[in-house]
Parts: sequence; C-alpha cells; structure tokens
Amino acid sequence: MTAAQNSSPRPDDLSRGDNAIEAKEVEGLSQGQIVLRRFLRHKGAMSGLAVLLFVAGFACSAMGIGPIPGWWRFQDPNATHPMQNNGQPTLTLPEWLGGPGFTWGDHPFGQDNIGCDNFAQVMAGVKTSLLVMVVLGCTALIVGVTIGALAGYFRGWLDLCLMRVTDLFIVLPVIVVGSVLGKLLSQMGTKFDWPQDVVTAIKYNMPLILGIALGLILWPPMARLVRGEFLTLREREFVDSARVAGASHLRIIAKHILPNAVGVIIVNITLLMSEAVVLETALSFLGFGISYPNVSLGNLISTNQGAFATRPWLFWWPGLFIILIALCVNFIGDGLRDAFDPRTKRIPSVREMKKAKKAEIAAISQGEVA
Amino acid sequence: MSEAVEAAGQVDSVRETLQDAVRLSKRIGDEDVAKGDVILEVRDLEVNFWVNGEWFTAAEHIDYDLRAGEVLAIVGESGSGKTQSSMSLIGLLPPNGRATGSAKLKGIELIGLSGRELREIRGNEIAVIFQEPMTALNPVYTVGFQIAETLRTHYVMAPADAKRRALQLMDLVEIPDPADSYDKFPHQLSGGQRQRIMIAQSLACDPKMLIADEPTTALDVTVQAEILKLMRELRERVDAAIILITHDMGVVADMADRIIVMKDGQVVEHGSAEEIFHNPQHPYTQALLAAVPHLGTALSDDNPALKVSLVARDEEPVPLAPGDPGATPALLMEDVAIDYPGQGRRKPFRAAHHINLRVDPGRVMGLVGESGSGKTTIGRAAVALLPVAAGKISVAGRDITHAKHEDLLPFRRDVGIVFQDPGSSLNPRLPVGESIGEPLFLHEKLRGKELSNRVEDLLDSVELPRSMRNRYPHELSGGQRQRIGIARALALEPKLLIADEPTSALDVSVQARVLQLFYDLQERYGFACLFISHDLAVVEMLSSQIAVMKDGRLVEVGPTPEIINNPRHPYTQRLLAAVPVPDPGKQRKRRELRDAIIAQQGIS
Amino acid sequence: MLRFLARRFALALGTLFVLSVLVHLMVDTALDPLEDLRLSTSPNKATLIANRVAMLKLDQPWIVRYWDWFTQFIQGNPGIAWKSQQKVTDLMSGAIQTSVSLILMATVIALILGVLVGIVSALRQYTALDYSITFVSFVLYSLPIFWVAVLLKQFLAIGLNDYLADPEVNWVLVGVLSAISGLFWAGALGGDRNRKLLILGLATLVSFGTLALILTSGWLDKPSIGIVGIIVLGAASAVTVTLVFAGLANKRALYSALATAGLGVVLYYPLLYLFAFIPMNWGWILGLFVVAIGCGLGIGWLFGGSDRGVSMRGGAIVAIFVSVLIFVDRVMQVYPAYYNSNTIHQRPIATIGVETPNLGGDFWVQQLDRFTHVLLPTIALVLISFASYTRYQRGSMLEVLSQDYIRTARAKGLPERVVIVRHALRNALMPLAAIIPVDLVTLIGGAVITETIFGWSGMGKLFIDSLKNAEISPVMAYVMLTGTVAMLAALAADFLYALLDPRIKVAA
Repeated sequence: MTAAQNSSPRPDDLSRGDNAIEAKEVEGLSQGQIVLRRFLRHKGAMSGLAVLLFVAGFACSAMGIGPIPGWWRFQDPNATHPMQNNGQPTLTLPEWLGGPGFTWGDHPFGQDNIGCDNFAQVMAGVKTSLLVMVVLGCTALIVGVTIGALAGYFRGWLDLCLMRVTDLFIVLPVIVVGSVLGKLLSQMGTKFDWPQDVVTAIKYNMPLILGIALGLILWPPMARLVRGEFLTLREREFVDSARVAGASHLRIIAKHILPNAVGVIIVNITLLMSEAVVLETALSFLGFGISYPNVSLGNLISTNQGAFATRPWLFWWPGLFIILIALCVNFIGDGLRDAFDPRTKRIPSVREMKKAKKAEIAAISQGEVA
Repeated sequence: MSEAVEAAGQVDSVRETLQDAVRLSKRIGDEDVAKGDVILEVRDLEVNFWVNGEWFTAAEHIDYDLRAGEVLAIVGESGSGKTQSSMSLIGLLPPNGRATGSAKLKGIELIGLSGRELREIRGNEIAVIFQEPMTALNPVYTVGFQIAETLRTHYVMAPADAKRRALQLMDLVEIPDPADSYDKFPHQLSGGQRQRIMIAQSLACDPKMLIADEPTTALDVTVQAEILKLMRELRERVDAAIILITHDMGVVADMADRIIVMKDGQVVEHGSAEEIFHNPQHPYTQALLAAVPHLGTALSDDNPALKVSLVARDEEPVPLAPGDPGATPALLMEDVAIDYPGQGRRKPFRAAHHINLRVDPGRVMGLVGESGSGKTTIGRAAVALLPVAAGKISVAGRDITHAKHEDLLPFRRDVGIVFQDPGSSLNPRLPVGESIGEPLFLHEKLRGKELSNRVEDLLDSVELPRSMRNRYPHELSGGQRQRIGIARALALEPKLLIADEPTSALDVSVQARVLQLFYDLQERYGFACLFISHDLAVVEMLSSQIAVMKDGRLVEVGPTPEIINNPRHPYTQRLLAAVPVPDPGKQRKRRELRDAIIAQQGIS
Repeated sequence: MLRFLARRFALALGTLFVLSVLVHLMVDTALDPLEDLRLSTSPNKATLIANRVAMLKLDQPWIVRYWDWFTQFIQGNPGIAWKSQQKVTDLMSGAIQTSVSLILMATVIALILGVLVGIVSALRQYTALDYSITFVSFVLYSLPIFWVAVLLKQFLAIGLNDYLADPEVNWVLVGVLSAISGLFWAGALGGDRNRKLLILGLATLVSFGTLALILTSGWLDKPSIGIVGIIVLGAASAVTVTLVFAGLANKRALYSALATAGLGVVLYYPLLYLFAFIPMNWGWILGLFVVAIGCGLGIGWLFGGSDRGVSMRGGAIVAIFVSVLIFVDRVMQVYPAYYNSNTIHQRPIATIGVETPNLGGDFWVQQLDRFTHVLLPTIALVLISFASYTRYQRGSMLEVLSQDYIRTARAKGLPERVVIVRHALRNALMPLAAIIPVDLVTLIGGAVITETIFGWSGMGKLFIDSLKNAEISPVMAYVMLTGTVAMLAALAADFLYALLDPRIKVAA
C-alpha cells in the first residue's frame, strides 16, 4: 500500500491523473453493487444492523412468532406469578463484569407490582414495536411513493392537492394527530355498537391497525420527497431519450425514474421507521396507543413510572429497548444515506495521511538499502 | 485622448492609492519587478491525492519558470492535472491532496508554507481568476463588497477608501456604471460582468502573478472574446505574470507567450507559442492540434435550391428557405413559436418566435447560437418533447404539431435525438446495452437473441467493443457514453436525427473522433440531421447549411460557405469574428477584425 | 410584498379551514361523550343519555355540530368544556402563557446550542470529536421524550435535591465530567498533537478546579456571580466576541467591546441599589435591557472610527451578555431565602407544576421559582430537539464549505476566521429558516408529553385531558391555536429567508 505505481494494472488511458481516482472506485460494478459495498463498509450501520437483527431475533424467538411458540417459560406477558424477592431482577452479571456469575433466574428483568414477568412483557413490547414499525413503514411507503411519483411525474392538479395536503400535515404535531387517531381506533367498536367479535378482533390486532392508521397519516413527507425527486429526474435527459424512444408513462415511471429515486426512498423510509418506534411508544405512554391485552414498551413505562423509586428496573428495561431499536434504525438510515449519496467520498483524516507518508518514506529508504 | 492612454492613467491611479495605504501583508522581494524577471521557479512539482489508502499522482515532474509580464498557458484535457498543479502553488488543494517539490516566488518557497504566510501571499502576491463566476462569488454579498474585502484584508483601509478603490478597479475592467453595479449581487449581473468582477477582485492588490483557471470556459463565445480582449489589454498595463489554464487551443493562441502541454499529470511539451503551434514535437501535441476544428474549411455545397443566405430584417423573420422540390422535407417548421412551459407560479416563457426552417432528407443543417438563444428548444420541439404554441411542425411529412403522447408512437420511429450531456442522457441504473435496445424493444418488439444481435451490430457501428453492452454508464468515459447515445438514436434508422451539442462536453481529441464517427454514420445511413451547437467550427465541419439564432429568433439561414465567408447579418458577423482560431498569427489578424466589429457595434 | 403576504395569508386561512373540518370530523368520531353513561347502572340511565344527547346534539348529523362550532369560533367564542362547564377561553388563558414560555425557551436554547455544536462538528469533520457528536446526537435523536422526562423527574431532580440537602461530592463523577470537557475543547480547538495535549490538560484542570470550587466552597448554598465574576466573564466575553466577529487585530472593536464590559462592571452597584429601591417588573427589566444594548451600540459608534458597524455589533453583543449576567446575579441573591422558605422544604428543584403555590416573595423570588420549575421540562425538550439542529447545521455547513466561493475567499487571502464566519456561516444559517418552523411543531408535540409528565397546566395537558374527557371544544381550540402558530412560524420563516437571501425575490 505505497505509491500508485504498485497498484494493479489498469487500462492505459486511466492509469494516471484525476480520471484514475474516479475510475478506481467503480471498476466493473453496477450502481446497486457500489451502494451495497459502501453500505457494508459503514461501521455504524453494520453495527446497527447486527444489533437490530439480534434484538429482533431474540424477542421473536423468546415470545414465539405466530403459531410457533417461543423458548421463554412465560409466554403470556399479562399472567401474574408469585412475587420473588420483592420483584427484583434475577439476572446477574457475569464474573468478569464484577457480578456473581451469569444467571437468568425466573424473572431476569424482575416483576411488576402485581407479579407479571417483566422479561416477557418487555420482549412482547419489543415485538409490538417492531411490528408497528414495519407495518407503518410499509403503509407510508406504498401510499407515499405512489402519490409522490404520480404528482411529481404528471404535476397538474394532483401535485397541487398533494402540496396542500402536506401543508395540512406539517401544521399539527404527529403526536396530536396520532392521539386523536388512537382514541378513534380504540373507541370505534363500542361507540358504534359493532358486534362483539369485531370489537375483540380490533382489540387483539391493535398493533397492526395502529401501524396502518399511523402510516396513513405519516406518508405526506415521504410523498413530498418522492415528488421532489421525480420533478428533478423527469427533467433529466435519459428520461427524454426514453420518451423519444416511445416509452409509455408507466414504463418511464417504473423503469427509468423510480430506480433512480430508490436511494431517497429507502433512506427516508428508514428514518420514518425510527420515528415510528418512538411515536408508537409515546402514544401508548399517553394512553392513546396500544393497551391491554397487547403490550407496548411505552405503556409499560407509563404504568410503572410511579414505581420508579421502588422498582426502577421496570423503567430501565423497556426504555433501553426503545432506545436500542430507534438508535439501530437511525444508524442504518445514516449508513444508507452515505451509501446512496454519490458525493460522499472517504476523506482521509490527517493522521491517516501522515501514517501513509511515513510508510512511503520507509518503503523508499528500504528500496534504497536493497 | 485615446482609450489606451486613459486606461493607463486608471491603472496608475489605482496603484497610487494603494501606495498610500498601510500594508497588512508584507510584500515579497523588491517592490518593483521589471518585465522579463523570473518571478516563479517551479522545480519537480508533484501533486498527489490520497484515495482509498493509496496515493494517486495527479501531476508530477513539473518544471517551469514564469517571467513578469508573460502569459504562460498550461494546456491539457480534463484530468491532466493542470488545475491541481497550479492550485498547489497557493495551498488550495482539496484536503486529501498534497504537493511536494519546489515552487519559489521571488526566492520564497511556496510549497509547505504555513497558513499565515500563505494567506499573506494569496490575493496579495498571487491572485486567482476562477472558471465559473456564478459559483465562485459569494451569492449573499454585493460584488463591490467582495472586491473591497480583498483590499481590506491586505491593507489597513477605511471602508470608504476601499470602496473608492474598488470602483476604480471596476472601471478598469470596464463594468458599465460601476457606482450602480457596486451594490449589486452576483446573480444580478450577466456572466461576462461577473467574470469582470472576478478579474477586478484578483487585480485588487496589484499581484505579481495571476492564475486564470479556465477564465472563459463558462462564457459564450462573444462574451469570451470581450473578456479575452480585456485580459490582453490588462496584461499590457499591469505587469503581472499570468498562468492561463485552459483546454481551448483558440484561447491559447489568442493570449499565450509560452505554452506547457500536459497529459495525464505530466508535461509532454514546453515551448514558445510559435514553436508549439507551428512545430509541435510531441505526438500528443500534434494530435491535440490536429483535433481542434478550424474555421474556414467549409464544404462546397451541392444544394441547388439555396444559393444565398436569407437574412432577418428588422421585424421580418427569416422566410422559409426553398427546398428540393421533389422531396418531402425531413423537418419542416412553418412560423413556429415554442413556449417553455411554466412551473407552479412561474409563467410560461416564449423561447422561440416565428421559426421557418426546412431540413431536406439526407442533409445536415447546423443550428448555431449562444446559450439562451433557443436552439435547444427548437431541437426538443422537433422530437415533440415540447409543445408547439403556434405554427406547424412536420417531420417526414407527418404533422406532429398537436399530436398526443399516444399518437406519437409511429412518429417516434422516424426521429432520434442525441443529447449534450453524456453523463445525464443514459439511465445510470441500466446497462448500456439495455439503453441502446430500448427503442428496438418498444417498436420492433425484439426480444432475447434477436435484440442482442441488433445491439451488438449497433455497438459495432459506433466502434465500441461488443462486450460493453453489459457495462453501466458510470464505467464509461464521456466519449464512450456519447457513442452509446448515438447508437441508441440510430437504432431505428430514423429519417431525422437531432444532435443537441453532442460534443460540447467532450475533450478536444475525443470530440474530433466522435465528430468523425458522426460524419461517417451520416454518409452511411443518410439521415437528415439538425446539428445544434454553439461552436461554429464544429458545425462547419458537418453541415451543408447553417441557421444562426439569437434571442429566440433565426437571424440568418444559408449555405455553409456563404455563412462562414460572407456573413450578412451583424450578429453572424460578430459571432464569427469572436471564434478564436488555434493559430497565433491568424488569430492576431482576426482579433483586429473582431475589435473593429466590437467597436462598431458596441458591447452587448 | 403586500400581495405576497396577502396570498400567503389567504392560503394559510384556507389550510386552517380545511384543518378544522378534518380534525373536527375525526375528533367528533373519536370521542364518545356517552361512555360513562353506557356503563352506568343508574335507574334513570335512559333519561340521562337522552339529556346528554340533546345537550350535545348527538342525534343530529356531524355537520350540524361542526357548523355550530364554526360559527361560534369565528365570532371569537371557542365554546365550553361541557363536563366541567368551564369556558374554553378561561381554561386557555393561563395555559397559553405557560406553554409559550416553555416552548420558546426550549427552542431558543436548542437552536443556539445545536447550531454551535453543529458548526464545530462540521469544522472538525472526521475527527474523534465529530464522531462523538454524531453518536451523541443519534442517541438523543432516538430518545423517547417521555422516557427522558420521567428520568429527569424521578432521577435527576430527586438526586439533586438529595445532594443539596446532604452534600457529599462524588469525585469520580467530577473527574469524568472534567475529562469530557477537556476532550471537547481539545477536539474543538484542534491543532497539532502538542497543542491538543496542552488544551486537553488545561481545559481538564480548569473544569476540575471550577467544579471543585463550586462544590466545596459552599457556593451552591449561596450562589452569586459577584463583581469579580462579572469583571472576569465580561472581559472574556468581550475578547471572544471580538475574536469571532472582528479579529483581535481590529483594536477599535476590541476596545469598544472591553469598554462596554467595563461600563457593565461600573454600573453593577448602582443597579443593585436601583433593584433594591424600586420594585421590579418585566417592563423595567426590558427597558433596562434596551438601554444596555443602546449603550453597547453607542460605545461601538464612538470607538469605531471609519469602520463603525463591526464595533457597534460587538458592543451590543457584549452588552447583552453583561446585562444577562447582572440579571442572573441578582436572581441568585435570593436563593438562600428561597431555599429556606417553608413552601420549598429545602427541595428547590421542582418536579410538578408551573410555580410553587402560596410562595409570595418579590419579583426576584418569583423569577427564581419559575426557573426551578421550568428547568427540567426545558432540559427534556432541549435534549430532543438539540440533536436535529446539530445534524442539520453540520450538514448545511459542510455543504457550504464545499462551495466554490469558499475557495475564492481563501484564494483572496482571507483569514480562516473570516472565511468561516463571514462567508460560510452566513450561507449555512439561511436554510435554518426552513427547518425552524418544522422543528417548532415537533417541539409543540414534545410539550404535550412533558407537560403531562411534569403536571404543567399548559395547552398540551389541556389537549390530552380534554381528549380523555371527551370534550371537543378545548381539543378544537388547541388544534386551531397550534395550527395558527405553525402557519405564522412558516410565514415568518419564508419572510426571513427572503430577507436573508438576496437571490430570492418575494414573488407575488
């Protein structure tokens, strides 16, 4: 790793000068591969992805997914158990961290004041958060991209409508709209005297319904971004050449513009999803989100905040997992943004360059000695 | 009182006011430098960039001397390291760049100077004129402030004094009404005036040396001529040495005393302007000079229908030229007006008025004009990318004036278009083979093997290897991308091809090869072509007729030899006179002619 | 300009109208005013239901109820909360002031801190400091505000109060904080290795010394800045302001800044007399503040020579800083009395409510009381919105720094300070105008949660309580008010942008 001369041979006209620097980055790769390579190189994003996958896998395997039961002994987070040691967590630190040795115990994260297992509750809450996050993301993605793409491509009245609708959505905090929506969803069944089984179905599928409903109010920023991207891309000359070649509107949108807007879409859907985790827990905290029989991390904190002085673990564990999920998704989003942004070039630090200079000098002097 | 004497007086008054002022930055060496003294010695200069854990050489083994009062041109194509090697003199490399070797300004070593010492030299001893004055001036400060700021950085000077001096400088660079322009923001001035401000700013502290980095590349050819004239006059009066960085041989011929030719980070030839232009030694220099299109090599025209130019007079537009009576014109525009559609609250704006244009089958019509003249608008309307506001357009006998998107499908078979920017005209997410094959896929419903055979044939015809079909646009060079663009436009063997500045984004040597290819393909396929360009020399090479456009109107249409040798409209005359010729001797003569025309018609 | 304003105003009114329709429909559907009666076992359940249905017109279509609300609302009557039979205007009058002070304070602090840290982060791109700031801002970005608020309330407030009651210094914590401060300054000021080590050592020592002095000298029991503090801090601010805005080479600017600080010091004792003899109120304070700024400008004008603008600006900024110091000093002087007041019970950091009931005391005591109450909610809000400003400012600064005109400024030989402050900062701050209204709306949302947790009877809490109580009128009043504020903020931002950026013409 010394001077340019030692690197692999390249076509003659590209071996030197600025051109070589440009070409070196992209040799023989498609755009997607380049993005992927840059993403994989992003340490923050890769750690975020690893932790998120681990948390998701851990929670889903512990509490089971769909019909598959999990490995944790208490599968019902709302069941009460006899109080052990005043609800203290039985999880102990391994010896190398100064603990008495690693053990799970019966209730690793402790118990609340009526004896529910906190571990089961937190894991169920993690599952709920992830579910809401994914459902919300998908809903906002589908609606936002469709409307944004059509508005940006065809402009006209649809575009005007979209802009006015997004105006509407930026004037109210999401938490306010979300609260009203949450209230609406939880009240609908009883208020309109819907049949009991429908009411129960709504109750049990609240995370799913809430995710969709929140997705339906969170799409406008996404649509606005996609619209902006389409407005610029539709002026690009390759779109004109497709049009001259006789491509239909649908083909231009789907084949020529959308793949080029995919970076913006992916990055923003990721950031939206991290926002979604925090939003869902906040709504549940306020009592307008997910409640019994479903478990939400926000709801757990809300019910247990009074017991902070006596049972602080009931506050720390759910909070830790909310932050962990949101943080990981944020890091992934940041990594994706860097990967998709053609302008990000790795600029070396001063120290790195100095090191290289030293190495070079060393190599030269070695060469002289030899 | 003659202009020159008056101007010399201006320079002196600027100098005098500077001599009164207390310096903040110290001067290097003697205060006065005689013409011909060596002020800069560059020895074994090397510039490297640190990319992905490796040092890449952007330029190496650069040696030259620069004398006071001389213009040294550093010529090379993009990526040759000409800019970076000059920027390294004043420590303006990007953060991942480094310079080694030696560059002495009046005995002071510039390479490796500390920040403070460098700052005293920048703007004071060595000033820079950048390429793009729109982005190189800060948009939120007035131009006057930005000139005065330079002065106040290097001198203790009250704002009022700095303003007075800035006004003198603005006067010196011939800004009309400096007092008024002083308080204008960069976006309120035209491109040429912005570049004049840039020059005034660089001259503010009476530097020993100027680095002009492509000072006219972003400008139209007539504006370029005026800026070059200004710079030449200034170099007579201020005895600063100038390093002129450019890729344009015409500009070099106009200005340079000595020339350095760079290729891939190395100096390949170094000599006086006479030597380089008349007796180039290195094959690369020879090739470079041969590649530059020359004016005045017009083809003889064999079109019997149009013998003399048609000229617009006063309010009358250019009438429709008579065509080949037997043939259906490939493109026919009758009294066409085109609006650029408004967006949101922006009103639609009429980009072309009363256009009468005829291109007969198999002929190449050149369409020339400066930026904003509406030439691209005409090209886009001809392929139905823009709606027509008035008049009638027909292509190969088919009226497309008010056709809908769906009805245009059969028409699309007959036309093709090649765009200016090869980076933007190919879908970055598709392999180029797919881009080329798209028209075949859509019109001839070709699939699979058949399609790939045709794509390979097309690649052969634009002289690219067949294996390239699986490459992505970003892997190809500009010239290769433009060949792909041409291949796609020719896929359906159209009757009419619109070429919208197909070579203006390319380096000269690449441009020459692409133009040759274009010429051969036109001979072989026999399509009619509307060739749009701002470069008269390029248009002259290819077309049998030329239409000249200005401010959305055609001003002159005629056979190529007539337009080139006997321009009749004043604008055509000015345009022609402004084109620099890559030959110092001829250029001197042209310059005199040009100055006469500018003097006669006034500065626009 | 007028046409622009009129057009934007009409658009905003239209948006508000559509908003009122949509939200009213949604809230009307969501609320179930009969919920409590449905479960009732009272024998006259049917009559009760019938009465309430009649009162709230629940038997009529939604549009009738909307129309009733709308006609009243545009006449300036937002209705009554039917359960408590209180007028919405009465409910709101105190709540608005509470919320506005909280949101305004949080916005200003978050904005200033966020922008400063963002700029430092951008200027030190790809250093350890930049990575740390990025990491911390990501963590803050991911923090749910309700969790932070509960944590502050249950952990920080109680911990601080316990410490104040029984001070026992945690030296490890002090050491860690000092080291962090040292690392920050070393990273922010930069330079070569030796310089960095020097700054690291100095800053750590200074931080440690200051903290130790504060903690061991009993300063916390009787805090004050005092004349010495004002001299030292005033002089430091004068030098810093000159360094940033004019450069120390500009002696006139330096002298005018120092003179302004000196004037503040001279006026310190006279002001204390003034405060002692005349009962203060906000009118007086603001008046004095304006006078102080005027003094700063005047001194700058006198000293400025031919280049007055720079000196006047510096003088004014120093005047603002010194006035705030004197104000804070005066507030601190009532702390011992406040601490020992029998309504405080020696637990000064408040976790509930806007102010201590039945506290009494003069203007200064009330200010201190407000401060102890607003402290935690503000910290909670600032922590959340600080992160987004930091990220945004960092990005915008990096974008500007890569522009051609920055290279031109360097090529002119401008000192790096001028390149950054004059050429980069001015351009990098402009896009903030677009982000502030958006962030303000987020902050209003955050206030809903903080107010609920800290028991602040502000607008957000009113909204949540009314939504739970199925009272539509206060909810609608809240929505309309928030909408109006957001609209005005967006309008102001557009206007500001047009003023700052000469390229933008206010198009009619």
